[in-house]
Amino acid sequence: MATREAGKKMIMLKSPDGMEFEVEEAVAMESQTIRKMIEDDCADTAILIPNINSKILSRVIEYCNKHVPTTGATGAAASDTVAPAALAEDLKIWDAEFIKVNRATRFDLIQAASYLNIKGLLDLTSQTTIDTISDNSLEEIRSFLSTKNDYLPEEEQTIRRENQWAFQ
Amino acid sequence: MGNLRRHHPRPRSSAAGPLDDDNLLSEILLRLDTQPSSLPRASAVCRRWRLLVSDPGFCRRFRLHHRRNPPLLGVLDKFFDGDLSLLPTVEAPNRFPEGGLSLRLDDFFVPIGCRHGLVLVFLSLDSWREILVWDPITAEQHLILLPPGFVTRGGKGMINGAVLRAAGDDDDIQVVVVMADKGRPHRRAFLCVYSSKIDLWGELISTVLPSMSLTDVACTGMPAVLAGNSLYWLLVGKISVILEFDMQKQSLALIQVPVHMLEQGRPLNWIMRAEGGGLGLLFETDCSFQLWKRNTDSNGVFSWVLGRTIQLEKLPFLNSEEKDMRILGLAEENNVMFMRKGGVVFMVHLDSLQFKKLLENDPVTYYEPFESVYNTGNTMPSHISIIINPNYFLIIG
Repeated sequence: MATREAGKKMIMLKSPDGMEFEVEEAVAMESQTIRKMIEDDCADTAILIPNINSKILSRVIEYCNKHVPTTGATGAAASDTVAPAALAEDLKIWDAEFIKVNRATRFDLIQAASYLNIKGLLDLTSQTTIDTISDNSLEEIRSFLSTKNDYLPEEEQTIRRENQWAFQ
Repeated sequence: MGNLRRHHPRPRSSAAGPLDDDNLLSEILLRLDTQPSSLPRASAVCRRWRLLVSDPGFCRRFRLHHRRNPPLLGVLDKFFDGDLSLLPTVEAPNRFPEGGLSLRLDDFFVPIGCRHGLVLVFLSLDSWREILVWDPITAEQHLILLPPGFVTRGGKGMINGAVLRAAGDDDDIQVVVVMADKGRPHRRAFLCVYSSKIDLWGELISTVLPSMSLTDVACTGMPAVLAGNSLYWLLVGKISVILEFDMQKQSLALIQVPVHMLEQGRPLNWIMRAEGGGLGLLFETDCSFQLWKRNTDSNGVFSWVLGRTIQLEKLPFLNSEEKDMRILGLAEENNVMFMRKGGVVFMVHLDSLQFKKLLENDPVTYYEPFESVYNTGNTMPSHISIIINPNYFLIIG
């Protein structure tokens, strides 16, 4: 990790399994939930993040570190020489690598992104989930997402008949 | 199977976590593809999915989430005093049935344009008293009386408008009507905005039109263009003038197209959303389409820049003997142009120049691309409940 810049305000995030992560305040504030706590002065030096284990929390911090706007002293070197379009493309490639995780981790990341209110991460994880099922049959969708078909056969027939064109 | 279930209840996988939470599941389902078959298929997965995607709140959020990337569902087609019908241009399994997505009214009516899944229709052509907003997907209709100033000032061919959903508020349907009067010594353009949220028209906003040889300032009947925060209408006259309504500043302004640009080809007939989102012009020359963009420099000074030139030879369907090529409409979100040549209607993706033949011998009089998500196939069965916005004036038929 990058060395700490002088004058950067740091904040401590704690996971329920006892791990501590020291992050720049700007990085932590990528989470709207944490931002609100900081702005409301509810955050002293450490914030306990319930329900998110250290493995997932470290991935979330990794995401926020990458996505924090590169302004000021740290970002100047990178953003002065790179066009915004190129930066966006770089982020897209980075995101695609970042989300190459198993389903359980992805679902944990969705829950974390939702709880911490990190829009970009919620977009990425939710979109990836939808993309994995987009070209599949109903049976495959149910199987991929462990969702049980609770329709009676005749009910499912009725539902399909209602919009027959969509099942051609 | 019953036995297996009894003896080995499957432990709930921790991996299924977010899918058990309705809020998170609907957050995920919001990202479903926008093609028409998407929500009806999701409804068939299980009861819970059906309940979630049928929820009016979900439908609203789905529309809002996909505001910038609605699919091109089809074209609105009307022949003189016939019905206004939405004809699908999408292929199976997204080809929704044509029947039912039609507007039939007793009186003659004039469609003015569509946006965000809504169609604006002017009624009572002689008196110009009323307009109707029609949602072809849900069949909802919203009847609005024109503001008083417009009823007295109106005249045939002198009025235009636009319909849209407010930025960030999908429930707020806004209607903008605009007209040019015959006033002396100065002609003026007037504009008024209606908001369904408050069910009221705002103040009249006006601007003076240039006097130079504008013998026929009238709105062209061409649909408005939405680019950034502004709506644009092309006015007909001996010089080309574009009316700009900045919705944020609530201000009306005129943009004159430099005369030297008009000398190059035929008269300016189409304005459009340019690549990158600003105002664009489409010039037709004998052998090409020229797409111009309006650029703003750091000092706020505008200039016109030629963006792309599309050689007509790249569009092989135009190379027929018949010379009656006509542009019918532009789908601003999908960058698709509809054209008619030799009695045949084609759609052309302006990015890729891929094209498709749509209709033959179609007696087009009104033809307007319709871009919207399709979210009716997921409504609850009618015996359970139908939720109707009480502000809507409903004509069931």
